[in-house]
Amino acid sequence: MAFRDVNARRHIGLQQLSSLASTGRAFLGPMKSHKFIVDETTNQSTLICSAVRLIESLDLTSAAGQLLNETIQAQNKEFKTGLSTLLFLVGAWSSAVVECLQQNVPVSAIVSVMSEGLNSCCERVQCLQISIHDVRKELCSSRVRPNAFECKACQVGCDSLLNPQDLLYFHKCISEPEVISISCCSHQEDDCHFKKGLVSPLVGFVSSASLVKPEGDRSSSVIPGSGVIASSCIKQKLTHSRHFRTLGKSHFSGQQGNFQEYLLKPSADPCECSDLGHLAMALSHGNQTDVKLLQSIVEYQQERAECRGSAQLNITEIVTCSLLGLPESYSCVSQGFVTLVSPEQAKVIKHFKDKSLQILLVDGDLTEQYRHLGFNRPHNVRTVLEHPNLEGGRAGDTWLSRMLDILVTFEVNLVLVKGSVCKNLLDRCTASRILVISPVPRDVLCAFGEVTGAQPVTYLSQLNPSCAGNGAQVELWEASDGRVMDLGELVPVRINVRGIPLLTAVLTTAVASKVQLLEDQFWTSVYRLHHALKDGKVFPGGGAVELLCLSHIQVLTEQPVRPAKAGKEFPSPWLDTPVAEYKSLVLQALASGWKRYLSVVMCNIAKAPSELEARALVDHHLKKAVDCGSPSAYILELFRRGDVLGGGSSPFADHGEGLKVYDNVAAKTEAWRRALDLVLLVLQTDAEIITGPKRNELLNSPVSSEFLFL
Amino acid sequence: MSRLEAKKPPLFISEPLTKDAVCQSLLLLSRIFKSSYGPAGRLKQLHNGVGGCVCTTSQSSALLRHLSVSNPVLRVLTASVQNHVSRCSDCGLFTAILCCSLIENFRSLNVAPCTVIKITRHLLSLCMDYLKSEACGCRVSVDFSSVETLVCLVRSVLTSKPACMLNQTEVEHLATLVLKAFLFTVPCHVETNAVLGKCVIIPVKGRRVMDSTVLPGLLIETPEIQLGKPLAVKRTGSNMIKIALFCVSMSGDSFSPEEGTIAVRHGISLEMSELNQLLNVGKQLVSDGVGLVVCQKVIHPSLKQYLKENHVMAVDRAGLSLMEPLSRMTGSKPIASIHSLSPGCYGSLKDVSIERVASKRFVHLIPGDTVICSLILCNRSETAWDELKRVCETAEHVLQLTMKEPLALLGGGCTETHLASYIRYKSSSLSTSTFQDLGCSQTQYQLVADGFCRSLESVARSLNHDGGEILTDMVYGHCWFVPSGLPPVSDWSDVVSKCGCGINGNTEDLSWRILEGQSCSPVIQGCPKEPSVKVTDFLTLDCFAAKCSGLQVAVETANLVLDLSYVIEDQN
Repeated sequence: MAFRDVNARRHIGLQQLSSLASTGRAFLGPMKSHKFIVDETTNQSTLICSAVRLIESLDLTSAAGQLLNETIQAQNKEFKTGLSTLLFLVGAWSSAVVECLQQNVPVSAIVSVMSEGLNSCCERVQCLQISIHDVRKELCSSRVRPNAFECKACQVGCDSLLNPQDLLYFHKCISEPEVISISCCSHQEDDCHFKKGLVSPLVGFVSSASLVKPEGDRSSSVIPGSGVIASSCIKQKLTHSRHFRTLGKSHFSGQQGNFQEYLLKPSADPCECSDLGHLAMALSHGNQTDVKLLQSIVEYQQERAECRGSAQLNITEIVTCSLLGLPESYSCVSQGFVTLVSPEQAKVIKHFKDKSLQILLVDGDLTEQYRHLGFNRPHNVRTVLEHPNLEGGRAGDTWLSRMLDILVTFEVNLVLVKGSVCKNLLDRCTASRILVISPVPRDVLCAFGEVTGAQPVTYLSQLNPSCAGNGAQVELWEASDGRVMDLGELVPVRINVRGIPLLTAVLTTAVASKVQLLEDQFWTSVYRLHHALKDGKVFPGGGAVELLCLSHIQVLTEQPVRPAKAGKEFPSPWLDTPVAEYKSLVLQALASGWKRYLSVVMCNIAKAPSELEARALVDHHLKKAVDCGSPSAYILELFRRGDVLGGGSSPFADHGEGLKVYDNVAAKTEAWRRALDLVLLVLQTDAEIITGPKRNELLNSPVSSEFLFL
Repeated sequence: MSRLEAKKPPLFISEPLTKDAVCQSLLLLSRIFKSSYGPAGRLKQLHNGVGGCVCTTSQSSALLRHLSVSNPVLRVLTASVQNHVSRCSDCGLFTAILCCSLIENFRSLNVAPCTVIKITRHLLSLCMDYLKSEACGCRVSVDFSSVETLVCLVRSVLTSKPACMLNQTEVEHLATLVLKAFLFTVPCHVETNAVLGKCVIIPVKGRRVMDSTVLPGLLIETPEIQLGKPLAVKRTGSNMIKIALFCVSMSGDSFSPEEGTIAVRHGISLEMSELNQLLNVGKQLVSDGVGLVVCQKVIHPSLKQYLKENHVMAVDRAGLSLMEPLSRMTGSKPIASIHSLSPGCYGSLKDVSIERVASKRFVHLIPGDTVICSLILCNRSETAWDELKRVCETAEHVLQLTMKEPLALLGGGCTETHLASYIRYKSSSLSTSTFQDLGCSQTQYQLVADGFCRSLESVARSLNHDGGEILTDMVYGHCWFVPSGLPPVSDWSDVVSKCGCGINGNTEDLSWRILEGQSCSPVIQGCPKEPSVKVTDFLTLDCFAAKCSGLQVAVETANLVLDLSYVIEDQN
């Protein structure tokens, strides 16, 4: 066993946390900068835009890194949002705690004051919560014009792409994002490498963009002056990928009739559609594509909910399908299950046109060797062949023909398989005009089972007439304008059953490296709306909650330390209230987390030129809030006016009437709590004990002097 | 071809305690234990250094499981602490710290080990007699007719491990749950042989602690079950559900023997015949009117399908740990073979429902009258959950031990300092015949007794991790804590608020003095007093049985280690 003391004045674990967390700064706020993660051993790079993907790509072998990863994953699993907040606060609070340690504040004082302070703040900010009911009412009555935002966005996009000079900027901006190298060799060449890699999709962009006839008044171009171009790097992200919007839109209106029953479309004017759509928009912090998709989903689910009587967003009834090769404006929601199949299978589908198909669900693999989980293959069974039968052919063939026979006997046309499918069987089925699709997620199988009456089976031999379902329809998936999908090897198809609750969000993109990113963004939007409905309330966004926390901490600092003799609520004097001097220091450390959070958000959305100025702005608002007597009322009033942190903190603020931004309640407070828990857990750790074979390695390594061995 | 190698002679190490390496390791071990002790204890990150999962803990059981101690002297120590923990769950660090300090204190004494051992045995018997006597001033009796003392006991266990990351509200919530779970396990109708039931902990990681709850009966995780669909389960005439419990695998692979080979003629499928056998079992289950089949291992999908078609619910992969409570709860005998089914092995159940916790789905088996319950335990992070699970198990065990012996000791260091002042008082008033019986001089006795008391006090001092002062009073002999950072005062009564266990307040002048490790402390006049008020809310209490056992184990182990004169190591 190797033992390392980590709790010196400069706490190693906390330092590791703050340096790991500092990498996620750019993801804070509604305007996120992308990052390239470059693996220098393989020269492969990934485009990321979220804390989870960042953490996945970092080297986290240290104990603190492992714990950070665990924390991020836990938050991601439950909320899919609040991750960059979590990551940032971990960093901010751990460096604030290190400062406390340097001022000789005892660990127990930091732990008790910080956790109590956070509890108190979480209770305090409850008064800002707005019930979903009120939000929906308000959002519906206010005149929201997201179209203004959209048009502008598309102009920025078109302009920057059509103008060769802007194209240069575009190129520059794309290659400018921070590059995080995984290994430690020089990354000069890699820079060139992915610049090269980027040029080609860009060329694609331009050539398609030239087809676009942008509508609207070009003269009122909103391209900011060249001085702001540096920060427009962020803006690009919001806009450049959506320059086809106008195109998509015009086609929408022209051909709406043809696709009515096919694509679920949000109404052109959001005010006509469901108020949940507004909520989705307010929660999405400016992600337009996802809002449209979400609106369609919400509408569809609400229609069904009226029969079922629940007002929640059902996540298990949503799947995604990423299509590479179409512009992002083609993203849409389709009823049923959209997936990719081979061209041969696509030919089979042509025969299925308008036919009601017999469907079969298989919840295992479709291979001869497959056995259900928990079945142990016997190793000591030997088969004796007494009368060789030369005509019998290979054993595998008999299995194939048996399976095919079963499918044919039950007149199955469509098989959805959860696991993998044996290639030979797949080919034989395709030849016999049986469509076999794999892999299909569990929830999809369940959804099809529910509406068609099909019972999932593990083996085809289990099949009996009650297992197969009926009423499925398959067709080739077509883009909204009927554009032919020439995606190379794979063809998108849509499997549908009348009345199925399942929806597929088809996420299209022309940039391969954005596939994962778009999917992550979509799920984040879905989960935000889901949790808002589940919580039944939301927080006002744009920094309102954090600002109230800051003002509350000022109140806490001024409160006298509990008189020593009345400590009834503390069961143990070992955790008793620390002295006043420490208390204010530690509360300041807690406040500094939120203060830095606000100032970095303001920097990221270019509301403040530097963190220092942002900080001054926060202090200014804080003072005003405290001075007015009731900070919560003041902050709510600011929020109602649409700008919490002056000059409008929401990304839509420039559009005259600010569009309201909301945050999730549970996701936010849980992110705070998890961040603080992690920091305090690492703070209270005074030693690392390394067990296993690594111990001997350490014993002989140059760092062995850092360790004690038992 | 094997090569013969000459045997190496064994290595003799004499007086192992005088060796430097042993002392170093002992000091390190003692440092690890001391720094982890108490509600403000420091945590240790246990990991393999190459990205494996990190265990953050301050619990003796987790520490000792991961520490690989190579020195035989230290192994004696860790083994006996582990043994104590496996019997009592609680007071592991107390035992370890006390044992280390006893060894450290006695090693430097200029008294022969055999004399030290005799004297410490005598001191231990003084302690045990005192603790077991009615006059004992550091224990309270536990009243099972009210929950207050019980909640204090549970709360003390929960707050003693900071790695659980609980705040005040969460501690209260969990303390109630643990107590509730314990009360579920107490049978309502006691016959001659009352046996406590069992509380099964169901892990739900990544959720708020406040989402934890207790349910009567058992939960089996079943990912494939569909929510929202009504459960169609066949019932018997008395509206109960007949349940069959299988502890044998029903996956259809049991034809494979452990060793040897089976030769099978081509065209015969063992799998098919095995499946037919299983389907026959299914037929019998259906004709016997069974409504629910639970299997410890896997059920063949075809059998599941058959049972479902006949409205029999099938739940598989219940796991070994659930089998005993399942069989106890339903009154069914686990069926170990698919070849013979006797109707007598079925049990019964009141109801079945689907329970959803976070993203997990469970089948909830609800019995009529039960001593079995499930504690759905949530905590935000994996490492904090693991710690919390161990803590909850400890709390449950502490309650069981307390039920046997309805006593509790004052916690927060008060029992240790009180006991030390009792021993100081007692050892100064021993008759000369005692010394003659022990074969030692009074001075020797005083030296050893002082070492003993200092060891006890060093346990109390280990509760302090952030500077500040530890005091003891001359009236009750309790332990008091003064936080660091206060301006120097002339009178301690200005800064102390209440004693470690919380029973005494700063109401009268108790003539405090600093609890120091090195110098001999003055002996108080008379026996330390018992606090006037016996029970209040929010006391820190320790498990009586666990602490008594810990005291004995620590003294006995220290004696054993001191008595070691040779270590013989086989070098082959």
